[in-house]
Formats: sequence, structure tokens, C-alpha cells
Amino acid sequence: MAEALQISPSPATRLDLMRRGGDTAGRCYQCATCSSVCSLSTPGIPFPRRQILLTQWGLADQLAADPAVWLCHQCADCTERCPRDARPGDVLQGLRSLVIQTLAFPGLVGRLVGNVRRTWPILFGVPWAFWLLLWAAGVIEVPLGDRLHAYEDFVPHGILYAVFFPVAGWVTLAAGVGGARFWKKMGEGTVRQGSFLAGAWPVLLDVLGHKSFGTCEKVTTRRWAHLALFWGFVGAAVTSGLLIYAIYLAGAEMPLPLGHPIKILGNLSAALLVVGGLLLIVSRFGVHRSLIKTSAFDMFFLSVVALVIATGVIVEVARFVLPTTAAGLLYTMHLGVVLTLFLTFPYSKFAHMLYRTLALVHQRMTATPEEER
Amino acid sequence: MERVGLMLCTGCEIGKNLDLKALGDLADEAGAVTTVSHAALCGPEGLAAVRSAMKDENLDGVVIAACSSRAKIEEFRLDGKIAVERVSLREMVAWSHPGNDEDTQMLAEDLVRMGLARAKVVKSADVLDEEIDSSVLVVGGGLAGLSAANTAAGCGREVILVEKETDLGGYLAKVRNIPPQEPPYDAPQVNPVPGLVEQLREHARVQLLTSSKVVSIKGQPGQFDVELETPEGARSLRVGAVIQATGARPYDTDRLEALGGRLDNVISSHELDGMLAAGALERPSDGAAPRRVLFVQCAGSRDPEHLAYCSSDCCLSSLNQVAAIHQLSPDVETTVIYRDMRTPGQTEHFYLAVQDHPTTFLARGEVETVASDGNGALSVRVKNSLLGEDVELAADLVVLAVGMVPESADGEGIRILTDATRKLETGDSDKQREDARKQIEEYARFEGTEILNLDYRQGPDLPVLGSSFPDSHFICFPYETQRTGIYTAGTVRAPMLPARALEDGQGAAFKALQCTAALARGETVHPRSGDTSVPEFSLQRCTQCKRCTEECPFGTLNEDEKGTPQLNALRCRHCGICMGSCPERIVNFAEYSVGGVAAMVKAIEVPEEEDEKPRILALLCENDALPALDAAAERGKKWNPWVRIIPVRCLGACNVIWIADALSGGIDGVIMIGCKSGDDYQCHYIRGSELAAYRLENVQETLDRLVLESERIKVVELAHDEWDRIPAVLDEFAETIEEIGANPYKGF
Repeated sequence: MAEALQISPSPATRLDLMRRGGDTAGRCYQCATCSSVCSLSTPGIPFPRRQILLTQWGLADQLAADPAVWLCHQCADCTERCPRDARPGDVLQGLRSLVIQTLAFPGLVGRLVGNVRRTWPILFGVPWAFWLLLWAAGVIEVPLGDRLHAYEDFVPHGILYAVFFPVAGWVTLAAGVGGARFWKKMGEGTVRQGSFLAGAWPVLLDVLGHKSFGTCEKVTTRRWAHLALFWGFVGAAVTSGLLIYAIYLAGAEMPLPLGHPIKILGNLSAALLVVGGLLLIVSRFGVHRSLIKTSAFDMFFLSVVALVIATGVIVEVARFVLPTTAAGLLYTMHLGVVLTLFLTFPYSKFAHMLYRTLALVHQRMTATPEEER
Repeated sequence: MERVGLMLCTGCEIGKNLDLKALGDLADEAGAVTTVSHAALCGPEGLAAVRSAMKDENLDGVVIAACSSRAKIEEFRLDGKIAVERVSLREMVAWSHPGNDEDTQMLAEDLVRMGLARAKVVKSADVLDEEIDSSVLVVGGGLAGLSAANTAAGCGREVILVEKETDLGGYLAKVRNIPPQEPPYDAPQVNPVPGLVEQLREHARVQLLTSSKVVSIKGQPGQFDVELETPEGARSLRVGAVIQATGARPYDTDRLEALGGRLDNVISSHELDGMLAAGALERPSDGAAPRRVLFVQCAGSRDPEHLAYCSSDCCLSSLNQVAAIHQLSPDVETTVIYRDMRTPGQTEHFYLAVQDHPTTFLARGEVETVASDGNGALSVRVKNSLLGEDVELAADLVVLAVGMVPESADGEGIRILTDATRKLETGDSDKQREDARKQIEEYARFEGTEILNLDYRQGPDLPVLGSSFPDSHFICFPYETQRTGIYTAGTVRAPMLPARALEDGQGAAFKALQCTAALARGETVHPRSGDTSVPEFSLQRCTQCKRCTEECPFGTLNEDEKGTPQLNALRCRHCGICMGSCPERIVNFAEYSVGGVAAMVKAIEVPEEEDEKPRILALLCENDALPALDAAAERGKKWNPWVRIIPVRCLGACNVIWIADALSGGIDGVIMIGCKSGDDYQCHYIRGSELAAYRLENVQETLDRLVLESERIKVVELAHDEWDRIPAVLDEFAETIEEIGANPYKGF
């Protein structure tokens, strides 16, 4: 007799998933309606049907190694059509948060973010408290006067670098470990072909235009919202890079005038972020409320993004209209929430940037010719 | 009949396509006293013309040459007393053959001649006038039996219910809840049995006898004399009908060794019911509370080596038990491995509700083995799990959801055993005694299995079909058995859920009521409902060959000591199989006799060989083949005009003398078309086509000796809905006959 897969059908995985909004997985009876309506499903990847089956059997390890979990855009076509209301879109969303926690390094932080329903005061509070402590300790202080001329007068760039460069390094390391774990797990038992870069290039092109996101039938607004957010963040990142260039190599004077190209780029990015964020909120909590469930994990991610954008925009205006202390306090909030964003990046929904990209590249490198599209 | 009138209808394209004058002239030739012709014989004017002819000419028989005997039944019943012979000029001629054509006209003339010939021979039947008892005996006090008793009593009948156990309720007596049957269908429901028992105890027309059994049932429907054994002593009573609702027993888990059927911690779903009713879930091996309970669905079901069928109740029972376990101990992990989860109708909501429980896991798969580690822990191996590989699961308690085995007794098997036992004592030779001994060995398992103890020559209980269900014609007639006036209800006749068993009891009760009411009018039950003619036996010519007593599908005939058939007319369903079986042709009905059909055969005009117009006799079963051919005609199908059709009650009701008459009269071929045979047969009389085929084998041998080609005779089985096939069947047979050539006996 061939070796059998030993399973103790423990409900642990399912109970864990229930917390994450995937409590409907048990309803699936494998009719495959979801696979037939999903634009990403192929004959070789009966997605998301198989992932739900693995969930039912509690096979968390297999799910953590499964690139298909990351293919989903959660357009909710499947949730709309599922005859048993098993809500595959929500299950997949819950699964991704489960996988992020499984792959997390260090695991403790992964669990901290995974349990965000209870831990959110820590996740928001500690980074903000850090800046307030620096203020209290006199490491940073608001200058005298009615208005802040520039935020650098409050928090010198040196301090920002001293904080964010090591944090960015740490985050890169943590994400790298998670990514490497994922890449290794995915690779077990499969043969990849071609180079990583050759696989990554078409993925990058797809991501830039959100082409496959466009195949969703039901929740079409999310593609544009996500695209705006994506380009907003890219713009913000480019702005930061250009700023460093402008300050240290071009010797530009801070703050830049409103008409400066870098300033314009920054403001355009901010506008994209605001528009994308609002669209997303309208889609998720408005028109598509019945199709997409919002778990605490999603809510945390959305809050971080929304707060980064909101505080960023408010802070930009604050130095012109508010007294220095108030503007400074708002600035610490902004820095706090940006720090939260950085620190939780490998463990929050943000990590999909990493895992989804890796999964798509892996898929490119393992696809048979007829599966290529 | 002495004074026969021919009634010709000219409507529905009959008049347009045929020479009616020539048809009318046939009446004179055949000695009919009058001819009436009308464009709509079935209309008020036409019927008035028929009635006035009946009165004026003092007719005692009419031949209605119009549409099929299956059309305008009420209209052409006329006064209900006069003998009516139907000739189908519309379906069999006008609609199915080219108009104003020589062959078509010859066909029409032959059919009219045949109708007139038979009308001369037949008589109108006397109506039985027997005292009919309308009370009902219900055997079995489970849900179906209680429901049957409640329904029959509710309709004003006296009901005696006999239950062998001390408690009423059958299987459900030991169950707390049943799967939901009412909105919102998402949680178990209170067992209806105690309420029903309470209701019946109060009922003035119902007697509930527990710890009792049937000792014997003698007589016939409407007049069953029943002997009972009760705790208070023997009781005799008369009832009109019997409902057997003896239920089912769970399939024996000992026979499911691979699934751990013999292991301590592997129990049947019925054992689990007992635990849940007692409120204590524990492992049999050590009494510990199990943490993981695994259900194996379809254990021994839908498996040709065990039960070939789906018991339809196990899926919902298991869901019910999962719900009960969660109520008892919410932390127990329950896993259900199923092949297909079958939750019909609204019970799907229940399935969803159970599935939503966080510690329940339902998955598709087939359990291959259940093994024990020796300390009570079990490991369950599952294949075809959709995961793409075999899976092994650990469990503390495994529940085998087993199917239902009907609590029936095989009347025929018991009879063979009884006969062999008698033969062992009275056998003439050593060989006979030795054969009897072998038979006794083979049939030993039937010893003491009687339930109804019928005093029927064919055995003391209902005959059973495959899988031991005492069915008669399950496709069309639920509740019906192969014994008139005895009906089955509940799981003894088919596996079913409680909701359906409740309904089944009602259905069987209505059948019983319908039966005694029909018998009181002197009529039989369907498929010949309304028919009053019973077979008449001219016993002075009987040779005691016993073919009629053996071949009667309904056990109508008992035998006296010499083996002479004794008719129990109320058991009879008028199929005519006894008439077909009798080599001495001593069995006849007033309206349907060996001589009547023989007269029709002889009335067919057989052209000379050089006319190249062969003649074919087609004997068509009136239940399936005739409706199929009518349907073909309605749809404009054409067929060979050489064919002369005689509808018969059943292919089993065809006496082989008709074939001999036909062939010796120069007819070139005979085709018999009847219902499909086999266990999932469609024959209304159980095995008419089989009997016909078996009898024809002997005839074909005779043909070979007479140097007549055996291909001239053929039996075809055909279903009711094969209207598109039947014209081709006739055409192909005609081609075969043409190839063989003319009957050499033509002209003799």
C-alpha cells in the first residue's frame, strides 16, 4: 500500500482562519463554480477550489507553499457566484494573512501583527511614543516662533536617517527572510526554468498596469483604486529619493517652493493616494460591502495607509496654519504611523507586494507553455 | 352475442381515407343486425344515434369502429352493461396509412371483420357480488404503520395494528430527534412517533396490539380471515386489506470487516443513536469520552457486494447525529467522510447549518480501511479525497453509517423450503429425496422467517424482487405488491426518510381503501380497474398440470389435494395469464376468451400467394405496446399495411393456439410485442413477456418440425415511451417475412 498522507483533522487551522474572516470555508462542497468564474484559474490550477479544500483539511503547510493563494485580486466574482455562500474571496484573504504569519520572521512580530484585533494599540502606540519620547528627552524640539518654517527645524534629517535607515534595513532583512522561506517552500517538488529576472520582467509589466486585475467582473472599482494607490506610493518613494538627491547633491534649499518639480511630484503622488484611498473605502465599505468582508487584519492595513496619507496631507498644511507645538505634535503622529508602516510591512497586508510578486515570478518560471498567457 | 350492431365513425379523417360503404357492407356479411354511421360518433348526436339503435334493434353487443380503445373511454362505455367491442380505424388505419389505397382499405375491412367476429363470441360479464369487509390490518407499528393506521381510521375504517415488539415506534422508538422536516430546516426536529402513538391510543376505531404476531391469513381481499397471537391469547378476526409496514433493520456491521466492523470502537449509526438517546457518548473499549468522532458514510451501501442501493437516510441521520454530539459536548471534533452528501430538498439548509459548526469537518472521500492500534485508537485510511493522495486520519470513535435491509420475508423461498420438506417425507424415489435434501440445505435460511403467514399456494409471504423489496411494479405503482389487497409502506418497500415513511403510510392506506371499495363494486384494482370479468374454469377438463397456479403473478389460485386450481376471484387482477397458460384452454373470461381471439384470427382474409400481400398477426400488449403504437399514429408515423393488430391484456395472456390457428390459416408471421422484462421490469403483470418468450420457444420447435421457419414468430419487448421505435419493429418484421416468402400452408 502506498504511503498515505497522515492527517489529524484538527480544527485549529479552521478556527484560526475564522478569526481572519474565513469562517465560511467549511461550507464548500467542491462544486468548482469558483474555479469556472475565476479569471485566474487554469486547468492546471483549479483555483481557488483546491485552496479551500486544503483549508478544510487543515493543511496549513501546503497552503504556505502554494503560489496560487497569492494570485487572487479578491475581485469577489467567486463570492458573488458561490451557491453555498462559502465566500471563497474572503477565505483566500484570510488565508493570505495566515500564510504571512506562518512565514514571518521573527515569528513573534508576525503573531503580534496577526493578532491585530487585540494588539493594535501597541502597533500604533509604540512608534508614536518613540517620537514623543525623543521630544520629551529633548533630542528633538520645536523652534521658537509662531509657525514652523520647515519640519527639519523640528526633526533634523539626520535623526530621520538615524531612525529610518536602520529600520528600513531591518525590514528588508525580515521581509527577505520571509520571502526566502516562501521561495524555498514554493520550490519544493517543482522545477523552475529560466532566470529570476526573465520571470520577473513580465510580472513587473503586468503589475505596472494592473492588467490581470482588470479581468475582474464584479468589483471593477478596486482595480483603479489599487492602481492609484500603487502609483501614489511609487510616486512618494521616488519623491523621497529625489529629495535626498536634491538636498545632498543639488544643494537645494528646504522647504522647496510649491512650484518645484519635486514638490509637484510629491503632491501629485499624495493626490493619487487620497483618490485611491477614497475609492477603496467607497468600494469596500460602500458598493461592494456584501462581497468583501473586512477583517481586523485588513482594517489595520487600511488604517495605516489612510493615516499615513491623512497625516501627511494635514502635516503639509499644518505648518502654515497651526502653532508650532500643534504642528509638531501632528508631525510626530505622521512619523509614528510611517514607522508603523515600515515596521509592520513584512507582516501586514503590505507583504502581499513581496509574496504576490514572488508567486507570480514562480508561476512564470514553472508554467508549461500552454499555461502561459 | 346474438344481436350485434356496427357503429361506424366517419370523423377524424376516417371517412376521408376509407370506402365506408364497403365497410358497412361487412356488417351484413357478418350477420350484424344494423349499421349506424356518424361523423362524430363520440358527440351527443352520435351517441344518441348509437343508443337509439341499441334500443330499437334490441342489441346485446356493439362494435364501435372509430378511435383507439384508449380514447373516448367514458363515451363508449354506453350503458355499462352491453358488450362493447372497439375497432381502431383512426389510429390503426386512417392516421397511420395512406388514404384511399387498396392495402389501407383491406386493413380497415379486416379490422372491422375481426371486431364483428369477436363480438359474436364474447358475452358481457356478470358482476361479482360478494360481502366485502373494509377494515384494515396493519402489520408493524413503526412510523409508516402508525401513519397508515391513522389514515385508514381517519377515513372511517376499523384498524387493527399488530406490533411484535413491546413498544410502538419501530426504529424511531429509540431515537430522540429526527432530521428537520419543517421550516427553517436547519436543526433537528422532535421525533413525531410518541405524539402519533398518543393520538392513536385515543382513537375509537384503532386497536393497537403490541407483543403480538400474525399466525395466519386465509382467504382473499375483502375477506381475509386472520389469526393473531397476542399476550391475551389467540384472536380471530376478518379484515378487508392488509398493510405490511415491517420496516428495515440496519446492515450488519460484522460484514464490513475492512471498515473495522468488528472493532470495539467502530459502531453502527444505530448504536450511536442509542448512546445519544441515553445522553452518554463513550468509547466501547474503555468508556472514555471520545475527542474525535469520524463518520463513514455509505458503509456497505451503493456497493454490489453489500447493499447495491442508497438507503437515502444515512446522510441526514449522520448530520443529525453530528448536531446531537455538538449539543452534548461542543468540543468533540466530528469528521464526516462521504462519497456524495445527499440532502434532498430543503434539508440542504440543515447540511449548511451543520457544516458551519467550527469543529465539524465534512469531506468527500472513500474510506478504504479502519484499523486499530490495539489500544483503542483508530486510524482511517481515505482514498479519492480530491487531495490527490491517500489520507490517513486518526479517530477515537468511528461510526459506520449503514444502510437499511428490508424486514421482508421471501414468500417464494419459504415455499420452496416447505415443499422440499414435504417431499423429503413423501418422495417416491431416493433421487427425489436426495434433491429435496439439497434444496432444504440451500433454503435453510428461510426457516421461521414468515411474517404474514398467508394461506397462498405460492408461498406464505409477499414475493420479493432484487434486494428483497416486496415490490410489484415500483415504477408506476408504489405500495402495490404481487398480492391483491396487500400493500407495503415505509422502509420495507424502499429505503426512505421519516418524512416519506409518514407519507408512505398514508399512500398505502389509501390503496387499501381503494381496493376494498373496488371489490365491493365487483371490480378489480388497476391496471384493469373498473373491469368486472373474472376467469371461469371448466374444471371437468382440467388435467391438474398446475401451470395456472404456478404462473399466476398474484397467487390467485390455490390447489386442492389433487392439484386442481381453486379460484379466489377477489385476489384476481384479470390479466389472463392463466388463460394463456392453459394447454387445455379451459380458462376464459366472458369478454376475453381463447375462442374470441381465435375468431378474430380466423376473420382475417388471407390473399392468395400470387397476390403478394402477406399477412402478419401482431399481438400487442394493451398496457405498453398499444399506447406506444397509438402515440406513433398520433405523430403521423406510418407502418406496413400487412399487419393486423389484436390488443391483448398481457403477452402472458396469449394462448399459443392462436399462433397455430394463424399459421395454419395461411398467415405468414406472428409478432408479439410486450413490456420490458427483468427485475426493473415494466410489465404490469410481473413477467408477461418472459412467459410469452418461454412458451414460444416450444412453439418454435414445433415449427421446425413442420418445416416452417422459426423466424415467422417473434417476441419483442418495448417500453411505453418507445413510440418512435414501434413502427420500425413492425416494418422490419414485415421485411423478414417477405424475405422468407409465403407461408406454404396458405390456401390449405
